[in-house]
This record gives sequence, structure tokens and C-alpha cells, in this order.
Amino acid sequence: MKKENTVVPNKIKASDVLYFVLPILSIALLIVCWEVASKNTAESFPTITATWERFLRLLDKPIMRVSYWGHILASLKRVCIALIVSWAIGISFGILIGWNKKMDAFFGTIFSFIRPIPPIAWIPLITIWFGIDEFPKILIVFIGAVMPVVINTHAGLSSVEDLYLNVGTAFNANKRQMLFEIAIPSALPSIFAGIRTSTSTAWMVVLAAEMLGAKSGVGFLVVRGMDGFDMPLVLVAMITIGIVGALLSIITNCIERGLCPWERKK
Amino acid sequence: MGEKKIRLKLTNLKKSYDTAKGKFQAVEQVDLEVYDNEFLVLLGPGHCGKTVLLNMIAGLEEQTEGEILLDGKAINGSDPRIGMVFQKTALMPWKTVMQNVEIGPKFRKVEKTPRRKKAQEYIDLVGLKGFEKSYPSELSGGMKQRVGIARAYTNDPEILLMDEPFGALDAQTRFVMEQEVSRIWEQEKRTIIFVTNNIEEACYLGDRIVLFSECPAKVKEIYVNDLPRPRDVISPEFLKLRTRISDNTDLAL
Repeated sequence: MKKENTVVPNKIKASDVLYFVLPILSIALLIVCWEVASKNTAESFPTITATWERFLRLLDKPIMRVSYWGHILASLKRVCIALIVSWAIGISFGILIGWNKKMDAFFGTIFSFIRPIPPIAWIPLITIWFGIDEFPKILIVFIGAVMPVVINTHAGLSSVEDLYLNVGTAFNANKRQMLFEIAIPSALPSIFAGIRTSTSTAWMVVLAAEMLGAKSGVGFLVVRGMDGFDMPLVLVAMITIGIVGALLSIITNCIERGLCPWERKK
Repeated sequence: MGEKKIRLKLTNLKKSYDTAKGKFQAVEQVDLEVYDNEFLVLLGPGHCGKTVLLNMIAGLEEQTEGEILLDGKAINGSDPRIGMVFQKTALMPWKTVMQNVEIGPKFRKVEKTPRRKKAQEYIDLVGLKGFEKSYPSELSGGMKQRVGIARAYTNDPEILLMDEPFGALDAQTRFVMEQEVSRIWEQEKRTIIFVTNNIEEACYLGDRIVLFSECPAKVKEIYVNDLPRPRDVISPEFLKLRTRISDNTDLAL
């Protein structure tokens, strides 16, 4: 058996401690500010304790026969379906218009004025066409999520460095190899920038979509709290939104690091 | 030495660009013969169109006029018999050393086992054994250019173009790399066309040194260098050749 390495543990530096303490300090400060601010306005701005109790009650008592976790899962399910479809379609379409100049000329103009329309603005039309079922909600999230993917993929593919393409030419790459071996890998970081943006956009849009007619989801919890003047519930939902959103972005970062190992070693 | 076999022949080669300020002549009527297995150095000041000349041979740019003949036949576009080592190394950051080196045979759809074997040979030859799985961002400048050289050799070119491959390296590393290229060339004879703006490098490496004039690039004089290898950079003969060339060189501004 190998002898255990007996390296003296690195000395803990003062700066390490500082960078560990600072985030904790900021959260503590936020809690103190919250407590102080909500002291006299418990009605419109519930205290931490009230919010915590509401959270515990929510764990026990489902709303609309859906548990707290069920509501989160309902939102996540919509987001995930919309994201997977939007990545598949957005990356393919982005590659098409980023690589092929004729396709870019054909679709570019339409795309550049559909793009600035916020996904929420589609809600009335989509509601009239498809009602208020699951599909229209996913469709709205899809519209929001697909745009950044297309834009970033397009940007990545249309700005592949000539140097790499020259290497391809010098080594007699055919068109397919040029695209799959050179252009797409070199565009991957920018494709992932699109994926990151689409994830955060999708999470925001799903909540907006749920606030307009849904029977489940975290967005529905916000509206439910507002309608019943149940401010602690609104706060619980808001904090949930924040935490789940942060977790989603951590997950996408991990996927990126797994798929682009060369980026990690810079 | 007897009759030397001509591999590559450039006749009346010209390249001009249309710019906003009118026509810009980058290469002006170059006539040049490159012999089999010789180490030919193209030497010239600054940006005088040597790279453009090389890019035309590599098929990365099209000549405005003239012909490039390989074994007597005109070549169009990039030819698999001609390989290139790029000025800025041009390694793909998303590929490991091995994946970068095997790119030529991979594009020719050679099976994985034989192409990896061949790539490994040249990785060993340039002294990068053990770095096969490293990414370019983990390598030093000199090591990156070694990968570039291994990549070019693995594709088995008959003519190897090198475009100021050591321009970005510090003086020490540069000299080591010059020795390496000279060693590899003696071990694996190929026709090499090497572009540089460094007179010492030219004298150290070249069998023949083609001196170009400042813009547009035009052949000014050709020097034959038959000093024995490895060359002694402070021997009187070496210094004499060096002075002869430098006295004849246009100053780049």
C-alpha cells in the first residue's frame, strides 16, 4: 500500500477567510434589514418569522391539492420541456443561419423584428389560439428561451476565426468536417452563453405565464398569495424563485464545464 | 551535387488587392524554382507579402496572375501534398495535442488506429511525449509550435510550408526550435519552404535563401548556403554570409 502523503496542510490565509465570511455577512445583513423594516408593517411586509411559519404550513397543507414541491416541479417541468425543445430548434436554426449566408439573408430580417417582441406579449394571441392548457404555457416559455439560443449560436458560427478555417482548408477538410470539426466546436462557448441566457429567461417567463391563469406552479403561488392578501406566501414563493433560479444557473455551468473541458483549464 | 529535381515552380506569380485607396500590389512577378528535399528560406523585411506568397502556394489565397506548378502540373486550391505550419500556431483550443496532430489523416478518413500511431510518432519526434492529452492552453509557446510542426508532418506532405513559425517566441526558445527544425528535417527529409524576417534564422536553416525586396514582394537575390549542419552561428563563414545578406536588405519601417 502506498504511504499516505504527509504534506503539511496549506496555511489558511487571511484573504481566504475574508472571502468565506463576506457572502455570509451579506446574507446576515439582509436578514437584519428585513427584520427591522418589517417590524411595524407586518401586514404588508411580513417578518421573517411569519414567512418561515408560512413556509412550514405550506409544506403540510397543499394548495389546490398540489404540495409545495409539486408546485416547484410543475414549473420546472414546463421550463425543462420548453428548454430542451428550444435548444434543439434554436441551435439547429442558429447553425443554419450562422453558417449559410443565403439562409441568413432569407431569415435574418424576419427574425430581427420578431426577436424584440417580449414573450409575454404573445400571451393574448396564444391564449386565443390554444386556450390555457399546458401547451400554450410551454409555448410561451419556448418563445422566450429560443431567442437567445438562436442569437448566440448565430453569432458564434458567423464569427469563426479565419485562422481555424484556413487550417481546415490547408488540411483539406470537406464541408461537413469544416462545420462539425471546426466551426461548431469553436462556436461552443458562445452557444453555451445562449443556453445560460435561455435558462434564466425561461425561468422568468414561466412565472409570468403561470401568473396569468394556471392552477399550479410557483408563479401561481405568487398570484394566489396576492389574491388572498397572503403576503407571507408571496414572499415564500419569491424566495423559492430566487433559489431555484440560482440552482438552474449552477447546473448549466456544470454542464458547460463538462462539455467544454478546454475552457476550464485556461 | 548533380542535376537537382525541380518539385515546385512558380512562374510570373502576382497578387494584388483592390482596396479603398486603389490597387495594392502585394506580390510582384515572382519566378522561383524549388528543388526536391531542399530547405528553402524566403527572407524579407516586415510585411512584404511573403505570407501572401505562401498562402497562394497553400491554396488559401488565389493568385491574380501566374502559375504554381507542382511536378509540372498546375495546382488549384489546396493540395494534399502541400502542408503548412502556421505563423500563429493555429491549434484548435478545443482539441487535445493528439486530436490536433491527427487532424490531417482524420480529415482524409484514415482509421483511428493507424492515424493515432502515425500522430504518436511525430509527437515523439518533436519531443512532446506525455503531453498527448493536454490542451493547447496548457502548453508554452514553443511547445504549441512543436504541435503545429507535428500536425503538418503527420499529414505526410511532400512540401512543407512554414510561415514565420517562431516569430512569437523569445530568442532562447526560438534558437532551440531552429535546431529542432533542422534536426527533424535531416531525419525526415522533405522540401521545406520557410518564411522568416530574421537573417540569422535564414542563414542557420536554409540551403538556399531567397531575399525579397520591400513591398511589393519581389525576388532580389538568391544565396546558396552550403555550410555544413549543424551550423556554427559564430563561425567566420556564417558571419560573412550574414553580413552579405544584411547589407543587401531593405530596411523595414
